[in-house]
Amino acid sequence: MTLKDKRSADIEIILSKYPTKRSAVMPLLYLAQEEYGYCSDEAIREVADLTALDPTEVKSVVGFYTMFFEEKTGQYVIEVCDDLPCALKGADAFVHHCERKLGVRAGQTTPDGKFTLRTVMCIAACDRAPVAQVNREYRYSLTPDGFDKMVDELKGTV
Amino acid sequence: MADLINLTIDGIPVAVPRGMVIVDAAKKIDNDIPVFCYHPKLKPVGMCRMCLVDVGTPKIDPATKQVVRTEDGKPVIAWMPKLQTACTTPVSEGMAVRTNTKQVLDARNNVLEFLLTSHPLDCPICDKGGECPLQNLTLAHGPGLSRFEYEAKQHNAKHVPLGDLIFLDRERCIQCSRCIRFQDDVADDHVLQFHDRGRHMEIVTFSDPPFDSYFGGNTTDICPVGALTTADFRFKARPWELDSTPSVCTHCPVGCNISLNTRLETRTGGHEIKRVMPRQNEQVNEIWTCDKGRFVHHFTRAEDRLTHPLVRDARGKLVESTWEAALQLVADKARGARVSGVIGDRIANEDAHLFGSLFSDVLKDGAVAMSPAIPAAYADIARAYGVGKDTDFKQLGKGDTILVVNGDLEESAPVWFLRLRQAVVDRGAKLVIAHDRSSKMHRYASRIVTYELGMAAHWASEQTTELSAELKSARNVLIVFGDEKLSAEGARSLARSLANILIESGHAGKANSGLLPLYPHANTQGVFDMLPATTVTTGKVDVAWLVGVGNAADVPQADFTVVQELFLTDIANNADVVLPALSFAERDGSFTSGDRRVQRFYRALPGLGQGKPDWWIIQEVAKRLGATWQYHGTSEVFAQMAQHNPYYAGLSYETLSQAEPQWPPVGRADLYYGGTAYDNSGGIGSRYAAPAEQSGFNSSLEPVVAPPVDMEALQHLPHTLYQDGELIRRSKVLSGHVRAQRKEAETA
Repeated sequence: MTLKDKRSADIEIILSKYPTKRSAVMPLLYLAQEEYGYCSDEAIREVADLTALDPTEVKSVVGFYTMFFEEKTGQYVIEVCDDLPCALKGADAFVHHCERKLGVRAGQTTPDGKFTLRTVMCIAACDRAPVAQVNREYRYSLTPDGFDKMVDELKGTV
Repeated sequence: MADLINLTIDGIPVAVPRGMVIVDAAKKIDNDIPVFCYHPKLKPVGMCRMCLVDVGTPKIDPATKQVVRTEDGKPVIAWMPKLQTACTTPVSEGMAVRTNTKQVLDARNNVLEFLLTSHPLDCPICDKGGECPLQNLTLAHGPGLSRFEYEAKQHNAKHVPLGDLIFLDRERCIQCSRCIRFQDDVADDHVLQFHDRGRHMEIVTFSDPPFDSYFGGNTTDICPVGALTTADFRFKARPWELDSTPSVCTHCPVGCNISLNTRLETRTGGHEIKRVMPRQNEQVNEIWTCDKGRFVHHFTRAEDRLTHPLVRDARGKLVESTWEAALQLVADKARGARVSGVIGDRIANEDAHLFGSLFSDVLKDGAVAMSPAIPAAYADIARAYGVGKDTDFKQLGKGDTILVVNGDLEESAPVWFLRLRQAVVDRGAKLVIAHDRSSKMHRYASRIVTYELGMAAHWASEQTTELSAELKSARNVLIVFGDEKLSAEGARSLARSLANILIESGHAGKANSGLLPLYPHANTQGVFDMLPATTVTTGKVDVAWLVGVGNAADVPQADFTVVQELFLTDIANNADVVLPALSFAERDGSFTSGDRRVQRFYRALPGLGQGKPDWWIIQEVAKRLGATWQYHGTSEVFAQMAQHNPYYAGLSYETLSQAEPQWPPVGRADLYYGGTAYDNSGGIGSRYAAPAEQSGFNSSLEPVVAPPVDMEALQHLPHTLYQDGELIRRSKVLSGHVRAQRKEAETA
């Protein structure tokens, strides 16, 4: 099943929003990432086909933007901000806590494929630092305990 | 063109066209502002920051809107607070530029220090070493020491194949994006891009097949460091060991100017071509060449080159002979006999002229023809209504129409593809394509006509009136055409219809208008021009004499066959006498391109074995048949030819060897500006006037009836760049492409 087979209606809607196909490259990559969990080589070629771009050009877009994943991620992608305001509120120590809790380093995925931990640059919620996004959903004013609870909850939801 | 902008650079006044950037304006007065990312043939991006200069504009009084002047009347310059990139800043009236202040010199020094933080400095093993912009500019402007920690240098992969022809060294790359922009903006093959960002940014290809482009070799010329190298030349020689000889590519009708870089090899004890580089000719190939032209040269030193005359012995075997015996045998057989001569369209003008003279002046009963035969059927029309003498593809743009009929520009004439594509995409010429299949050029067409296989001539004859009416309002009309899937009669009919369109729309015999034939090789027009019109003999003849003939269908039936060749081809293997010829690299001569530019090429290598140039062989036989020819070299043959051939009147080796200053200047000390393409030594050649341009020529319409579709012609394979052949087969680096295209053709 290709992306075209699975999400043809969504693809049509996305393509119809732009005067040229190439403009749809980013929303289509998000769609592909949603479908496959990451921007696989296959996904990149499919998007290239849909946008009439060379796969090299699509690969370059994926490589430039940090929110496109080039490798398989865990079911939950936890992105903790460690930029300056968050760091002032203890983000570095918080990231270490997360690493200990999950048993992986930032940038890695847990062996059970459940969680990927990443550090990111500012995600525009400095007033409630430290802050993280879990599959794009904001979690504010995080504490070690709160994090442990969240992880345990997410583990239980499967 | 009166729209000139006046500015001063380091106090020196200069006037340049509006829109020009400071780097180019400075170049006009030989002020070499260092650059890495800027290239005069590419759009500026301002990425490398090497070209920072101090820029000011006349101060304007906000109240009066007048230029503020000092007591002695000079405008006061308002200097910009920070340095500007000279490659992205266009000139403006009254602008002042300083390129030699301490601030500017410091900026250059600092940018270089940054670029070198993670550069491997492996110049001693780098192919670019000796002609490297980074090396040269570091010496001129850079620091002798680095303040960065040596241990903190980033190390990256050094041998990344981007395709089978180009290798990337990731740690040498300085991310100037010249290669990306060349592929995007000039070649239109979007096969290279940046990946990631910041310190991790690198060049990648994700295409399938990777780096698939006919023009990839050019990226290694414009790469300002040793990041991109060709599979053919990497680790083969140092640039300073190479001799350079001006030459002309023999593989398509464009006639790209090239330089043959040769070196004496201790291993083999002889000279070899180490690489082929583009030689600047802004009228022909600018500073580009295609990958076939760059990599096909290996045939010149192939191990199976013929090195001795061969004569068939009593037992029917071809055995080595002496020149004297072989020449005498040919002369004896040809004397008084019915001789049918065939000459290939790669052979130089001088050889073809003597071969033609042999049949018109020396042999009593003979006829001579060109191989392949199909172009010979329409080369007179292509010549008569060919592009005007002063045609310049760079002038084509808005208001002009380019009509491409029955041919694939990129496959048949790659550099014409680049240049005509730019006329359409960058300068707004209108493109109309009529063909039986799609091609890369179709991307830019505003109108596409698709006809059935083999129906090109029919289409053209039916559309003549309509197209002529449509094209009447065009400023210029360039008609590119090929002979795919057509018989000789069909191709002639097509050419005639297209000539009619030029006449009827009022564009015959004008500069920037005319026919542009997609001939199969570099000298199709030249060989045709040299041969006398003779009636082709049919049936079996006494002697067949073949000079560089590759097509078995063009070989006449004969009792005795003489072949002049580089290799023991199937045709040569069936001959009675095989005479070893010299390749274009081993002799002097001239070619006439598809747009009738006559260009000289020069001897770069000593001849192999006992091989002799074709003109010499022909002359030696002619002498034995009683001719009084005494030519000592090709210049004398050319001079004699120019006296008798009206098209070439006034041309001589002296006129052809003239070079003019070219813009942009390349190949000088400032390799960082234009890349490593060679500047033009050896001459830019000269285009002879098309007959239709000359007074007294009768440009009248001729009615055309397209002949029926030729079933045999339908079997002809469409021309592709890497089509298998005797020469390309001997280039190992291209063999993968040759196999792939053969396979594609078989399955088509």
